[in-house]
Amino acid sequence: MNPSRRKFLKRGLVGGGALVLAGTLPFAFRTTALGRRPRRELRLLSLEQHAVLAAACARLVPGDGAGPTWPTADAVDCAGKIDALLATTHPDVGGDFKRLLRLFESGFLGTFIAASPRPFTRATPAEQDARLEAWRRSRVALLRSGYQAIKRLAHAAYYSSPEVYARVGYPGPPEVPQVPA
Amino acid sequence: MSARAAGRITPGAELPAMSAREVDYAIVGSGAGGSVAAAVLAAAGAKVAVVEEGGHYTRADFNMQEAWAYPALYQEHGNRATEDLAIMILQGRNVGGGTTVNWTSSFRTPPATLRLWAEQHGVADVDAATLEPHFAAAEARLDVGAGNPDDVNRNNRKLLDGAGKLGWNPELIRRSVKGCARLGYCGLGCPLDAKRTSRTTFLADAIAAGADVYSDCRVKLIETDRGRARAVIAEVLDRAADRPRGRFVVYARKGVVLAGGAINTPALLLRSKAGTDSGLVGKRTFLHPTVPIVAFYDQPIEAFYGPPQSVSVHHFADRGARVGYFLETAPVHPMLGAIALPGFGDAHRKIAERLPYLQATIALLVDGHHDDTGGDISVNESGRIRLRYPLHASLREAAVDALGNMARLQLAAGAREVMTLHETPLVIRSEADIARIADAPFVPNGHTMFSAHQMGGCPMGSDPHGSVVNTRGRHHQIENLWIADGSVFPTSLGVNPQISVYAHARLFATEIARTAGTTAGATQ
Repeated sequence: MNPSRRKFLKRGLVGGGALVLAGTLPFAFRTTALGRRPRRELRLLSLEQHAVLAAACARLVPGDGAGPTWPTADAVDCAGKIDALLATTHPDVGGDFKRLLRLFESGFLGTFIAASPRPFTRATPAEQDARLEAWRRSRVALLRSGYQAIKRLAHAAYYSSPEVYARVGYPGPPEVPQVPA
Repeated sequence: MSARAAGRITPGAELPAMSAREVDYAIVGSGAGGSVAAAVLAAAGAKVAVVEEGGHYTRADFNMQEAWAYPALYQEHGNRATEDLAIMILQGRNVGGGTTVNWTSSFRTPPATLRLWAEQHGVADVDAATLEPHFAAAEARLDVGAGNPDDVNRNNRKLLDGAGKLGWNPELIRRSVKGCARLGYCGLGCPLDAKRTSRTTFLADAIAAGADVYSDCRVKLIETDRGRARAVIAEVLDRAADRPRGRFVVYARKGVVLAGGAINTPALLLRSKAGTDSGLVGKRTFLHPTVPIVAFYDQPIEAFYGPPQSVSVHHFADRGARVGYFLETAPVHPMLGAIALPGFGDAHRKIAERLPYLQATIALLVDGHHDDTGGDISVNESGRIRLRYPLHASLREAAVDALGNMARLQLAAGAREVMTLHETPLVIRSEADIARIADAPFVPNGHTMFSAHQMGGCPMGSDPHGSVVNTRGRHHQIENLWIADGSVFPTSLGVNPQISVYAHARLFATEIARTAGTTAGATQ
């Protein structure tokens, strides 16, 4: 591993200038499959970035095996909620997240880590899952960090949606007893 | 001194684009430390302004929905974490700070921790007797009662039963509540104001005594002049966008008290390049790195309802030469639970849909008492705070040991199975399975970890070369700058921190008020 790459990896996901590798993939979004239009006006992400995030969310939340009563990631607008949340965080966070999505979409990296050469948005569901697995279990700390960033945001957006409460056996907040102010 | 008219809480939306105030003391932060400092100084007749980055919310706002509460009430909208994201950091950001969202657990600083600070960290004159009146005052104002068996929900019952069977001396936790309806939503803001928070206690006292509070104002810089703090300069935030829309300056005739918590306070000093000559600011940041484990029972646990924490186990807090830990529980609402559970897609779903049967025990590692040196905070050119926290080998050993003992405890309590939160979880059904925990790598982002207790980064002590503030919170180099939050602790505490923060801040503020007349410039 050359010194600059090692330094990059050691700087971690959210360090200033981190994910510079992603910045060297100028064509990463050129072939992105846009999929469904965003359900709300985007505040941080481009249409391409939103599409990558939406594709990742679709695999991260309960999928085909879950049955029709489980909402899809799209139905609860996971990607739109994440976009709205990250728009309010420090601008560096938004910048890092966009670079992460670029890396995530990259067929070049997909080939390298999971023999999956297509952009993430054009890969089959099985290939997408293999890519997520490769990030999740990677020996490279940076990729594990990147996976957790997307995974936690997707699961936070999904499982905090009241539409999902009944699916996990959560009756929701109780009635609040009335007490004087 | 003449009584002042009551102050008020002014939201940022009511401030013009540019404005300034002049007061005796500017206090940064409205949590446990800032509120009690404001109350003491305002009661002594000083004109006080409390500047708070977060918004002002009351019980009418607390809707018990995670989707609202984490973005509204927590630092970085619930996304604060160590630089590598390995440790998620739950820390309050609102009028009331951490006390708005804490789980009410109320402990005094352990005598063993005070002894360690005296013997190894130059804190010779803050012993239990010194703190006694301040503990007592905090506990009285926060209605901290005796541990109550009726507070033990099923989640905590398993901890109580398992530890009891194993002879690990479980204890009931004293809680800062009055009229608690045991709903289970302390972490999302109490919709009854039954939780005694800084907002409903010391901050209210401070306001009644004339203090003014400004919410939605993020202090970016402390302005110093010839060794004295002169003003704090804040951005007025548009709350919805969380972006600056104005500037607010508070000139401090007598002094500045920092109480933004153990991450923001060191960051503010570093950003201001003020009082950082010791090289210690932002170093030795401690988190009580917290390792959860889950267990599944045949009967519903419903860990989303009932007081979140009512039982603690300190049996392993002192492991001699090895890093200690203590055990408590965590409430499990869908979002917090789902984030903590490993895997994705259908594998994750199969765990998540057993949520009502899931018990969550947590081990909080007592960092800083051994050769581990915690984390360090830095601030980049654009003001972004970074917390690097390497997982020292001695902490990994403690985490693995804790996972084994938590699994034992759950099996003793009757769990059908126990599951670690490794990314490839280990399922434990018998004592024989526990040995496998030691074989599983414990690496960053390989097992869920979080922190709800942030401490250190501006340690107190009598030696100006070995500490940032003295043992009454006064900065060693900037004579009218005090720190009154968890950042002054030289190590982690070994218990939940709120009462320790209130008590130390009250000790410091009492000393500020007592010596105000003798402080240079105090009579201006």
